[in-house]
Formats: sequence, C-alpha cells, structure tokens
Amino acid sequence: MNHMLALDHIQIVESLKNYKEAIKLASTPLLKSGYINDSYIEAMIKAIDTFGPYIVLQDEFAMPHALPEDGVNKTGTSLLVVKEGVDLLGHTIKVFLVLAPKTKDALSTMLTSLADFLMYKQNIINLYNAKSVESIQNLLEESW
Amino acid sequence: MKILAVCGFGVGSSMILKMTLQKVFKEKNIEADIENTDISTHLDYVADAIFTSYQFVDDLKKLTDVPIYPIRRYSDKEEVKKQVEKLLESQQ
Repeated sequence: MNHMLALDHIQIVESLKNYKEAIKLASTPLLKSGYINDSYIEAMIKAIDTFGPYIVLQDEFAMPHALPEDGVNKTGTSLLVVKEGVDLLGHTIKVFLVLAPKTKDALSTMLTSLADFLMYKQNIINLYNAKSVESIQNLLEESW
Repeated sequence: MKILAVCGFGVGSSMILKMTLQKVFKEKNIEADIENTDISTHLDYVADAIFTSYQFVDDLKKLTDVPIYPIRRYSDKEEVKKQVEKLLESQQ
C-alpha cells in the first residue's frame, strides 16, 4: 500500500513552546529524508508572519505550507500532534499537517482528497486523541 | 453566480476554501462558478463575491468593490454556510 503519510512522518508530543517550534518539529522528518530544504520551513513560518493565521483551516487544525519553489525536492507530508495544544496567533492548535508539494498540481491532488476530511470537526478530534502513530495514519487514509 | 476564493499563495488554503464553498452551494442547489487565486498577483476581480480571510479584507477593499465575505476557518462548513447565506440574502 502506498501511504500518503509515512509512519515515520507522524509524531506525537505532549507540549511545545510555540507554533514556530511546532512547525519546525513537524517538518523534521521531511527535512531529514531530503523532501525539503531548510528554506521551505522558513517560508512556511514567514507566510504566517505575512498572511496571518489563515493556515488554521479548522478548530485546532493548521496546515503549514509554502510554494514548491521555496525548497521542495520531493512531494511529501508530515503530521505532528501536540496533545496540550500550542498557540498560533490566538488559535489553539493540536494538529499540524505539513504539506510539501513538488508541483502545484501535486498540491491540488493532496487538497482535493483532504478537503472533505477537514470539513468534519470530529475527524480532527479523533486525530489528536489517537493513541499511536499507526492509528493516526489509519484515520487519515480512510478518507485520503 | 461567480465566486472567488482568495488566499496568500492562491494554491493551498484557497483551494480548501473553494471546496468548502462548492459543498455549501451544492447543498443549496445553487449553480456557482468558484475559482481560487492569490492576493498578490494581478487580478481581474470580476465576481459576485469574494471569500477570504479577515486579514486580507482591507487590502482587497482597496482593489475592488466586489462584496467581500471573510472566513476564519476555511474548512468550517457551518461558518462558510453562514457567510454564503448572507451573500444570498443581499442578492434578494
């Protein structure tokens, strides 16, 4: 089975200081395996400085992303659950889903399948209440 | 009806907003042509309404007279539905 979200790209932690730390940690698996460069992480954080918290798509859910030209070598995704939540400009976020698309088309494909999943708040609650990275992967792939 | 979903990059979040809008319009059985785009490139803002986030409202108002409906959470169908209903009321 070709998983959209590899098991070693999923992390669960109790707490973190701030959203910048969360985005950096969430992106670490992609950085380590060469999907993205440091510049992509900086671009995702800068986008929030510039555009505000619009990556908060649903209660407690944020989708950090930037553009392919900001430093993506290979299309990938990673996910971080912060059990206690972390503040992102006034929103408490417990799930960070990092999207790193190699092309804009790759991004469209990811989002098309993700959109329905995100419309139901219970799906987000199930993600951050999950006990293991395996169950997070299962939850996402049932609809992804 | 023509609708624009506008975000920072025009590819990520606005795509999600577009799909939430499509779902809401479909449930209401209203035909809508919905496109997503970014705030920074030159735009021909010919539309009946623009949906975007609160932080883009002021910038967009300088560029167009098209009515703007801000959304806090792009995937929140109930929130998007309320704004769509405001748009529909304004057109009656």
